[in-house]
Parts: sequence; structure tokens; C-alpha cells
Amino acid sequence: MEEEFKKPQRQSSVGVLLMFVKTLQQWARGLWPIFLVYIFKFDELNKGYLFLGLSGLLITIGIIAYLKYLNFTFYLDDENQEFIINEGILNKTKTIIQLNKIQQVNINQSLLQRIIGVYELDVDTAGSNKKEGEIKAISHSLALALKASLMQNGKKAVLSEKEEMTSQAETAEERPFMAISFLSLLKVGITSNYVKSLGLILAFFATVYENGKSFMTHSDFDEKKMDAYLDKSIAIQSVAIIVFLLIAAILIINLVRVIFKYFDYKIARQNGSLLLSFGLLNTKSTIIKPEKVQIVTVTRNFFQRKMNILELKIKQATSGEKEERKSVIEIPGCNEMESNEILKLLFLKTPEKGIMLKPNFRKLVFSIFLSIILPLAGFFAFGKYVQPRFLDFVYLVPLYVFFVGSIVYFGFKNNRLFVNDNFIIKQSGAWDIDNKIIEPGKIQAITTSQLFWHKSADIGSITIHTAGGNLSFQLGNYSKIKQYVNLWLYQLETSDSNWM
Amino acid sequence: MENFTNETIDTTQLPRYEAVAFSVLHSNYWKVTLINVFLFFLIIGTVLGLLLFFNQGLLAFMLEISVIYSVLLITVLVLSRISFKKKGFAFRRHDVLYRHGIIATNTIVIPYNRVQHVALHEGFVSRYFGLAKIEIFTAGGSSSDIEIPGIEMEQAENIKQLLMGKIQKQL
Repeated sequence: MEEEFKKPQRQSSVGVLLMFVKTLQQWARGLWPIFLVYIFKFDELNKGYLFLGLSGLLITIGIIAYLKYLNFTFYLDDENQEFIINEGILNKTKTIIQLNKIQQVNINQSLLQRIIGVYELDVDTAGSNKKEGEIKAISHSLALALKASLMQNGKKAVLSEKEEMTSQAETAEERPFMAISFLSLLKVGITSNYVKSLGLILAFFATVYENGKSFMTHSDFDEKKMDAYLDKSIAIQSVAIIVFLLIAAILIINLVRVIFKYFDYKIARQNGSLLLSFGLLNTKSTIIKPEKVQIVTVTRNFFQRKMNILELKIKQATSGEKEERKSVIEIPGCNEMESNEILKLLFLKTPEKGIMLKPNFRKLVFSIFLSIILPLAGFFAFGKYVQPRFLDFVYLVPLYVFFVGSIVYFGFKNNRLFVNDNFIIKQSGAWDIDNKIIEPGKIQAITTSQLFWHKSADIGSITIHTAGGNLSFQLGNYSKIKQYVNLWLYQLETSDSNWM
Repeated sequence: MENFTNETIDTTQLPRYEAVAFSVLHSNYWKVTLINVFLFFLIIGTVLGLLLFFNQGLLAFMLEISVIYSVLLITVLVLSRISFKKKGFAFRRHDVLYRHGIIATNTIVIPYNRVQHVALHEGFVSRYFGLAKIEIFTAGGSSSDIEIPGIEMEQAENIKQLLMGKIQKQL
């Protein structure tokens, strides 16, 4: 059975039809404006030319589809233990996947594929959420056989996963070792996500206002009178009331959201994994496997520090469904002790902040330039040359400078990178202060970057890539950064550290 | 446990990635870039020409259009040249380095034991010159993938074997 995959082979021949439809779709997507024009001008057109053009187009697509089919081959290289896919007519791509890197092989069937009677086979490796290899048309028996030979090396992984499943079932009854109290949720509700809720409220009122406006113009409501009334009499009072109502609404929305989402938050432990369950109406549950954790973010703001609560966000590397991949697991409202306990479970040690790297003052200068000087220059230029009435709002400028300036300043002050032997911690944020924690062993790749005019000042940036996202630190001491990069590379390359 | 040792690492004695000598891209790759740029501008030029032909009113802006067109062409050529000059790669025993960037100098390092899979891409023009692009993928998403263009096909195959060999040795 396996022998047949050793030679390069094409997809099943009805696959041409599939290619045809796919190419047609692509072209239609690209050319629809032209089609639209033709449809509107249908009556004026010479039907003969139209027919000729259309059939010419279809034939071209047909030939392309056939060539695509001809040029798409796949095979198993037994000697090197690789699965190889060749594709492309003019631009050719050869994708090489090591068998032992294959995490999943999925066999799917879309509606079109069902009509033709073929299957799609996707080969998936760890980490990134795109499919590494895709065979669009293959018969079912062939797909199964190919899957079997692709997974031969991965068999162990599949087996161990099954074992885990059964052991999970046995210990599912374990008692939770931690629960987040209702009080903590209340604290979280009143201290976080102000901006998000404000956005929600604004969006709500914007839609209400839009609808109300169309309603008002229809009724014989005297809008002008209303405006004048609003303008004069209670301007200041109403502003105060509106601000007060807004704050109250934000808090209430926050509370309701947090409680609905995280009610009865329980964390249980089993076989080294963490089992989370939460939710008021529908209980959600997730598993965190410590070895798969890539980035943990600890967030807290000024109020939360006073109330001794913080929020954890955990990013795992998963090779499961798409939705699962993108999702961040949040643990709201644990206190310092609880969070330390969780971190210890995830990392085996409590993360400690090591040697501190600070960004250069140029980062502050640049942020001020970008967020204060540039907008203000734009404002004054607009006021001067385009619309002088704009300058009436000049009294808002100090307010803006103060507000944005403090955000920029605190953002700069909190921007730090801490490095010790076991952890890299990036601290950032102006109000909500994030601490992103990663272990050097989870690094996938490192990018360092330096602008040419920063060479003499010896400052530069670093981006650390993990399977759960990137961590970057800008304009730090470049010599030090390079030294750390060398150290991390050394650690990565001398050990077989498992990143998931 | 007898022969287990755990000396302190002298970080100044570690191999320094920043001191590595980079290989430059194949000189034919510059020709490929040139051809691609000119093909692209030829298409734009043709479209512009057709537009001018069918819409005579635009002829009044002929000068502006041609100035913008040539400035764009020169800018793209200059930037491509700088970008070509700055691109470089190096294969060390345990990792691959790729340097690129026009204003900033970016260096990305991928240890071989983090490589997920490899692809060889031959563009239409590149193939004529016998050049290929090596794409090296990790689990870290698209920002941590390396694409090294302008490598001779034979060398590309060797590099692929090297990468695969390294991957296997690690496991």
C-alpha cells in the first residue's frame, strides 16, 4: 500500500474539475468589476463578441486548471522521511515536510468535493495556524492510506494523546484547588476594561442617535428649538450629569460583563494540567497544559494593585481547531498569592525579574513627537489654512497635551525588559501594566533590528518570536541585547528543550 | 549524575551572531529583480498608455504623469538596489541567520531545532537564471519565517538537505 506514494503522483483526475471551479472563483473575484460593467451594458453589447470573449475566458481557465493539475504532485521520500508537494505552473513551489514534524492529518470534504466524489487532505505541523500541505482532490481510500503512512511516525504522539484522554476521564472529579470569589469578580468589574466599555457605550449611543435622528426628522419635532434649549440653559450641568452617567454606565456594564463571563471561576489540577471552568449561563471549560504554555501576561493597574488583584492571560501553542489557536485564556481577579501558585504550576518556579533593560530616552522623544507634536502641528495647520473656526477649540490643547503626555510618559517609564536565567519578562503599559513572561526555551526565532543612525548610539530593538506570539523591546542597549541573544541561542542549541 | 557539571557560562565567550560573515545573494538575482521591476512598470505603463489613448482629456497632465512615473521607477530601482545589497544569509552549525532591511538592519536567527518545514520556491524569472528562494518556517507564525531569495538551485537543494539533516539529528 505504501509503495505507491514513493513516486511523485498527481491528484485524482476529476480534480481537474475542482481546480477549474477554484480558478474560476479566483478569477471571478478578481474580475467582478468588469463583469458588472458588462451586465449593465448588456443590451448595447454585440452578443457574438460577448459569447466569444466568455468562451475564450472559460477555455483559458480550463487550460490553467489542467496545467495546475499536471504540475501538482506529491510523494513520500522514504530515505529522508519527508513528505513533498510540488505545485505551480510558472512559479513553482516545493514544500518539504518532515514526517516526524507532522502533528495532524485531516481528511475533509466540501460540498463541491462531495459532488465530485473526492476528498481533501490537509497536513498540519505545530504552531502556525495555516495548513502546511493541502491536497485538494484525492480518493477516499488513497487519502486514508496516505494518512496512515504520514502518521506512522506520529503514531506515538496519537497514542499518548489517547492515554491522556482516558486518564482525564478518571480524574475529572478532582476538587478545585482554587476558586475566584464573587468579591474578586466585583473588584475586577470596577477596575478594568474602561476603554472597552466606553467604546461599547459610544457605539450604542451612536446607533441610537442615528436612528433617533431619522425618527425626529419624520415627526414634527422642532429640532432647532430643542438645540437652542440644550445650548443655553443647562450646558454645564448636563455635561456633569452626562459624565456621571457615563461613568456609572461603564461600571455597570463592566460588572455585568465580568460576572456573566467569569461567574463561578474554578481552577482544578489534574496530572499536571490546569482545568478551568467558568461562566454564568453557559459554563466554559478549558485545559492548560504547562508544557504548551508560551506566554503568560500578568496585568494590573493602580486600583487593582491597591485591591490586591491581578489578571492573568495565558497563551498556549495548540495544534487543534482554528478557534482554539487564537484564543487567550484569561484568569481574572486572583490575588498575588494565587497567581504565584498558578505561575509556579505553569513554569515550575516563580518568575522573578532579573537584570533590567531600559529603553533609550529617544523612545520617549519619538513617542512625544508622534502622539503630541505631529497631531498638534496638524491641528494648527488645519486651523490656520483650512478652517479657522477650528482654532476656537484651542483651550483643549493643554488638556490633550497633559492627558496624552502622561500616557506617553508612564508608558515609557513602565517599558522595561527583565532578563534572568529562566525568564524573560517584558513590562509595558501606561495605566494597565502588563508583564509578559516567557521562558527562553520557548523561543522559536529572534529578530534584532537597528536603524542606521542608531549605530553610534548603540541602541537597537529585539523581537522574540514564540508559538504564542511575539515579544518586542525597542531602543535598548544594543550590545547588551546582542549578548543576551547569543546566550539564548546557545541555550536553545545545546539543549533539546521541548517547546510544546 | 557523576559527570554532571554546571559551569557558569561566560557570556562574552559565546559565539557572536553579530560577528558572522554573511554570504551575499547571487549576482544574477539582481538581474531577476531588475526584470521583475521593469515587467511591473511595463504593465503599469501600458495601462497608463491605454488610459491616455482612450481619455484624451488626460493628455493635459501628460508631463505630471510622466514625471511621477519616472520618479517612482527610479525610487523603486534605488530601493531595490539597497535592499539587494543589504540582504545576506549565513548558515552556522546550529542556526541560520538572515539579514535584510533598507533603513533598519534586521537580523533574524532561527535555530535548526526550531525549523518546522522548508519550501523551495522558483519564480518564473528566477527559474530562467537557475535561482530559487528558500522559505524556512517555524511555529512562530509568519513574522518568524525566513525567505532567502537568489540562491542557486543546486545550492538550495543542498541547504534543504542540510536543514533537514539538522532537524533529524536533533531528534
